[in-house]
Amino acid sequence: MTMLRLDAVVKKLGRHSLGPYSLCIQHNECVAIVGPNGAGKSTLLKLMSGTYRANTGRIIFNHRPLDCWTSQALSEKRAVLSQFQEFAFALPARIVIGLGRVARNTDPDHHQIVSQAAGLLGLTHHLDQTIDTLSGGELARVHLARVVAQLWDVEHGFILMDEPMAAVDPGCQDFLLETLMGFARLRKHAVIAVMHDLNHALRYFNRLVLVHPTGKLEIVTSGQEAKNALEHLFKVRLSCLKDEQGDLVMLPLRGQRQRTG
Amino acid sequence: MSFLKKPKTCVFLLFIFVLLLSILGALQKGAFPIHTEVWLSLLTGEHPLFKSSQNGDIYILWYLRIPRVMLAVLMGAALGLAGTLVQGLFRNPLADPSLLGVTTGAASAAALTIVFCSGDRIAMFGMAKIWILPIMSFLGAFLTCMTLNVSSKWLASGSISGLLLLGIALNALGVSIIGLCTYLATDEQLRNLSFWTLGSLAGANWTMVVMMWLMLVIVYVCSSRLSPRLNALSLGEVTAAHLGIVVSRLRWSISVMVALLAGLSVAFCGVIGFIGLIAPHLARAVIGADQRVLLPLSMLMGALLMLTADTIARTIVIPAEVPVGIFTALLGSPFLIVLLRTRRHRIG
Repeated sequence: MTMLRLDAVVKKLGRHSLGPYSLCIQHNECVAIVGPNGAGKSTLLKLMSGTYRANTGRIIFNHRPLDCWTSQALSEKRAVLSQFQEFAFALPARIVIGLGRVARNTDPDHHQIVSQAAGLLGLTHHLDQTIDTLSGGELARVHLARVVAQLWDVEHGFILMDEPMAAVDPGCQDFLLETLMGFARLRKHAVIAVMHDLNHALRYFNRLVLVHPTGKLEIVTSGQEAKNALEHLFKVRLSCLKDEQGDLVMLPLRGQRQRTG
Repeated sequence: MSFLKKPKTCVFLLFIFVLLLSILGALQKGAFPIHTEVWLSLLTGEHPLFKSSQNGDIYILWYLRIPRVMLAVLMGAALGLAGTLVQGLFRNPLADPSLLGVTTGAASAAALTIVFCSGDRIAMFGMAKIWILPIMSFLGAFLTCMTLNVSSKWLASGSISGLLLLGIALNALGVSIIGLCTYLATDEQLRNLSFWTLGSLAGANWTMVVMMWLMLVIVYVCSSRLSPRLNALSLGEVTAAHLGIVVSRLRWSISVMVALLAGLSVAFCGVIGFIGLIAPHLARAVIGADQRVLLPLSMLMGALLMLTADTIARTIVIPAEVPVGIFTALLGSPFLIVLLRTRRHRIG
């Protein structure tokens, strides 16, 4: 069943325009957006989150155009993690996580949900710390917990993330992605994330959306068959390996980048 | 007494206690010292409203001292609240209604009203002061807020120096309008005008106290309902929108509230700067940045600061008095410089 559908969406940014993008995302599906720098991955994500409005084309979420959703109704179905986080005042982590639920009219289980979301992401001991004292990775986890808290008690929502693992150390990345995907599966949420790490994209996501600089979207299922498409997209040769656990790993080969133009 | 175990409740109780003590202290100080037994007699029913014989002490206490002290407390609370709201709105710890030109905007609207909008000037003045001036200063403050709102969009979001520079421009505009009014004013109007530019609580009466009280209660109730949203706004406008907040509506309501607070306080007491900057900072240092507790504590802080400043202003050169705006500026300017120093890595 289709949850989010993009119909020939075009976004003009200054002189150049991106798109047209057409894409269908099912309930309970995990989709990674990959592509070279500047291809328009973040723009695509911002179109889906409603930050940008499409110049032409339509975005349909749950059979209704995205523009027709009220801010509040939408916030109960979709959570967004932006690429850059800012804060003007040093709020305690507990409150930042709780802000995920700020638009709820009544929220009787607020405290319980906040501590459960924090526990899920291993933040129980950081709840009373103010966010200016947290490290980059801890701050990223606080915002992930905020996203989780936002969709804690609903089903069939969707989570949009722009490079969620950028500030997180390698030891923690897999733990966080696994936790997040587990949460999404449990609540039947769809996850759409811009990923830079191809192996994370291959390991945790069902499908890859390849954003070409030309504006074309190419959709492949993650796995061995994605290799050719990825090589073409990034203009590198990849070597496919199996790690000790039998998971697929793709590594770019040294000195094999094809020159363009 | 389980609520006493919460540290935040204790902080509030402590500050309320200190404020009450300061009020009692301030009631006794003045050009005409009033002893404890006199104000105690007010409680026992020896009230000028009930008694026709006009006892001097009680008259001074009831018609001059109490309204003045009450107005100082309410003004301080209003300025503290306005400062916290402006800082939350612009996501900027260095914002303040007086630094950003909001109070100057209100004062210039008041000055225009005094000079141009009175036919029989002195006769109209008594009544106008109660209604026309507050309305005009509200409009002036609101206009400034909206200008800031619109132009802070094309400034870099969250830029401290950009916002302060914009405040300088708006302040300059307001000051030049006041200057123009001073130039055109008659002698009588001139005296009223200097009252607005310096800021003083000397004109306090019960009508002002009641109006200020009502407005403060209304604005506080409305703003405390919005305080979780202000917390969300501190994460940035885009994130706040993702969290389900209609940012433009929030900006509008906060602007109206700030304009109400700044407009009424300017109409009654003139331009009193820096309380709106210092109070939220002290409160944040004590209790943290959570707007839900920050709003009431900044009001308490503002009330304390204002009461202290006003008591010093009216007792330091007895029997004359110094405009309180001078004191708050003396206190506030070094404070601002220290703030600029400690936050210099974030400026720009």
